[in-house]
Amino acid sequence: MPTVRENARSCVFLFLPLLFWLCTGSYAQTADTSASKDASGVHAMHVLGLEGVKRNLHGTLTVQPAGLDFRAAAAHATVPSATIQDVFTDQDSRQVGGKVLTLAKMGVPYGGGRALSLFTHEKVDSLTVEYRDTNGGLHGVVFTMPMGQAEVLKKQLVALGVRASIPVASQSKKQDAGGTKQ
Amino acid sequence: MRPNRRPLLVTLTRFAMETLLLCILSLGLMPRGFAAEKPETTSAWAVQVEPVQAEVGQLPPDFGMVIYEDLIAQLVKTERFQQVFRSGDHEAEGVPNLLTLHMALQNFERGNQTERAVTTVAGATKVKVHLKVSARDGNAVVEKDVQSTVRIFGENLKATYALARNIAGVLRDAPLPAPAKGAGQ
Repeated sequence: MPTVRENARSCVFLFLPLLFWLCTGSYAQTADTSASKDASGVHAMHVLGLEGVKRNLHGTLTVQPAGLDFRAAAAHATVPSATIQDVFTDQDSRQVGGKVLTLAKMGVPYGGGRALSLFTHEKVDSLTVEYRDTNGGLHGVVFTMPMGQAEVLKKQLVALGVRASIPVASQSKKQDAGGTKQ
Repeated sequence: MRPNRRPLLVTLTRFAMETLLLCILSLGLMPRGFAAEKPETTSAWAVQVEPVQAEVGQLPPDFGMVIYEDLIAQLVKTERFQQVFRSGDHEAEGVPNLLTLHMALQNFERGNQTERAVTTVAGATKVKVHLKVSARDGNAVVEKDVQSTVRIFGENLKATYALARNIAGVLRDAPLPAPAKGAGQ
């Protein structure tokens, strides 16, 4: 009959490959981020705001001459640049793996799951676009994307003539100085 | 012969954990109508939602916009109002029984999801707003401080969803006066 110690040891050995996979995965993601900075499309997640597009849907975000274009497997939406009132960027940090990994971490004995959380986080950028519909109603769209991508998109939108109340350079400086605390 | 107690302890602990997890899951899956009171019927009012007012740098723009967008969705879901208008919507100008919902930021603390996951006590994200719903004549119909906090699980933005749900709950349960005759004419 296995003892508690043996059970715990087998659990740790089970989760070691998971930890390794997460570390290599996050490294690969970082490398991919820097490589795809200059690409025309940015892999982004639609948090909320686009009409007819589900929340938390992953897709490709591009700046077209017509406006900001979001394309996913089953949805497509464009925010015309003429209707955009303002563009903001922000940075945040979040845990990766979703509910599955959260539950898996809860199952690791002796608080090992909490220690695992130290290695399973990533920094993300957010892009917020405010625009008005034909009736003048204010809408907001929020996207999250890998670090460093939001500023690129904001620059492209500003180049199209979109107004940004906080200029690109000053917002980056503020974020560098302020960190994540507000 | 003395029975081996260690496997029994492990079994009992596992059983307790599974029962606790089952309870949490069943609470989460409980139908909303069972947990909360049934919402009142639709009032004669329409409401126009204004975005959160905050000083520059106090509230990250994505948080403000998620509160605004999610609040509109939650208010539509309550079915308490005839119509829910967005800020600046010209169609709202001709509506006589219109309430305007203002939110002023009282406090915002951005926590950290990793801190929450590691320590379970630190890194909470908190948002607190002063809610004011006023009629066209300027009289406040509802005025209350509403807040939300993310303590253990979830992203920082979860605080905004919770706040929108809390505000919608306040308005769903608030007694609204009968609209004055000829209001806004």
